[in-house]
Amino acid sequence: MIEAQTRRRLYTFPLHRRDSIGSAYHVLTFEANEPIAALPGQFAMVRSTTWGDAPLLPRPMSLLTGGTRPSILIKVVGEGTMRMAYASSGEQFELLAPLGRPWSPLPEGHRAVFVAGGVGVAPLVFLAQALGEARAGGEMPLALYGGRTHADLPLDAELAAVTELRVATEDGSRGTHGRVTVLLEKALDELSGRAIKVYTCGPDPMMAAVARICAERHVACEVSLETPMACGYGVCLGCPVPRRPAGYLYACTEGPCIDAALIDWERGHGVSAGQKARGAS
Amino acid sequence: MSANVDLRVDVGSLTLKNPILTASGTFGYGLEYDDFYDVAELGGICTKGLSLEPRHGNPPDRICETAAGMLNAIGLANVGVEAFCRDKLPILRQRGVTVVANVFATTVDDFVKLAQRVDQEEGVAAIELNVSCPNVDKGGLEFGCDAQAAARVTAACRAVTRLPLWVKMSPEAGDIRGVGLACQEAGADALTAINTIRGLAVDPRTWRARLANRTGGLSGPALKPLALRIVWDLARTVRIPIIGIGGVATAEDAVEFLLAGATAVQVGTANFADPMASKRALDGLADYCRERGMNARDLIGKMR
Repeated sequence: MIEAQTRRRLYTFPLHRRDSIGSAYHVLTFEANEPIAALPGQFAMVRSTTWGDAPLLPRPMSLLTGGTRPSILIKVVGEGTMRMAYASSGEQFELLAPLGRPWSPLPEGHRAVFVAGGVGVAPLVFLAQALGEARAGGEMPLALYGGRTHADLPLDAELAAVTELRVATEDGSRGTHGRVTVLLEKALDELSGRAIKVYTCGPDPMMAAVARICAERHVACEVSLETPMACGYGVCLGCPVPRRPAGYLYACTEGPCIDAALIDWERGHGVSAGQKARGAS
Repeated sequence: MSANVDLRVDVGSLTLKNPILTASGTFGYGLEYDDFYDVAELGGICTKGLSLEPRHGNPPDRICETAAGMLNAIGLANVGVEAFCRDKLPILRQRGVTVVANVFATTVDDFVKLAQRVDQEEGVAAIELNVSCPNVDKGGLEFGCDAQAAARVTAACRAVTRLPLWVKMSPEAGDIRGVGLACQEAGADALTAINTIRGLAVDPRTWRARLANRTGGLSGPALKPLALRIVWDLARTVRIPIIGIGGVATAEDAVEFLLAGATAVQVGTANFADPMASKRALDGLADYCRERGMNARDLIGKMR
């Protein structure tokens, strides 16, 4: 494992390349003139220098890789990611990195089980690759990857290269028909009696369900939180997550990677979490 | 850097090394920017709003981006005045940072207690009374929108501290000049203008407000013309200095505020978009003054 870089810095890098994965997902790879010593699970605040006043704020993005070719996986959900999806090679980006708490190490003798949902796969691919480098033979992590449809599984090939991959889609267009939590329950049955650690990243309702299943079975579970953020380093206080038993923790400094048992999933995760669209027909 | 150019400004009896400060709520307690630059170079930092007891703040979502701005409803989450004085202030003092303690309370008595508590500490340059937070149920806007209420808080704090008192104005006051005058008569040393203005963003997908608090304070470039106009109005109304705030991101923005009558400015939301923003504004202002062979003081109120 590389040593964590304790000092966050504001870097300006040109975009090296943008790889589209279907219509909604893109991998942006930057050309770093000095390496970012990021650990799997850490994130960057990312902003193009072309944005001016709108979009105003940088976007928090899990790092897919660090080093001299730092990269992020984006899903187009709003104006910032839309602009990123049209960025061309050479466009200058500012990256504030590395930020937040990385994934904690896999305890000795444990099997890693990843539960990824859609774009949440990025920090888990980073972790899988790091574990692969550290592993001399032995077992691969088990990766459970879910999406709404087959198009919502970007980086499945990257994951398959370094894990034992199982896939689920809600519409049944690929792999098991249903949610990824179905795969998790099945896997935990199979691995019953083994020392396991679950790492999960995806939509809040998925992570809440994963956390609940792990708690019921006394399996260690770590989540990578996603919330809106303005700064990424603990000053705006815009990224609170309900903490057990009361109060909040801040995803940018106490997360994004954190023990799922510390989160009060009942108090929810913001006004948009798990809300169904209204008036849609 | 700023060789041969005098950037010092006088906010009442307090001389700041330059007119670039950071806005409360956008700069933590001053220590979070250590990795980026030496914050002691700035004219000053305004702390996150301090209350007598620690506050958890509002539930999420607390922030959302809007056109050239953002809404926030943080709810004054903070460590409390005791923890600040014990854990943060000694480090700031040792580093020579000019600290403005921004304080918030829901009653006049509690404002007085806060002023007394901060008054006991070495290393606080001024107290900024937050009588204009739009995101709390009690004690926020009701003080800042009412001249008599704002004056009551100011006078009560004036009686217990000799530290400079700055009062943070709400743009929602119907008669902001009246509020400013009342604070001046009650003993304020300066007015900070402006705090955020309440806004609303709605998600057309879910039909819900984007913030859990529903409304939030609007900040960022979208606020700048309004802030400039209010600074200009106040500067022509009161005798005490104005500290301009609202969409200040660059040296040029700072110059606009100084020309409109501000004595100093606070950089807020821009710190989020770029953690170096305040330092860049300071360096840019030094360049601006050097190129013109003038000092920062020469710009104040010089709009033609």
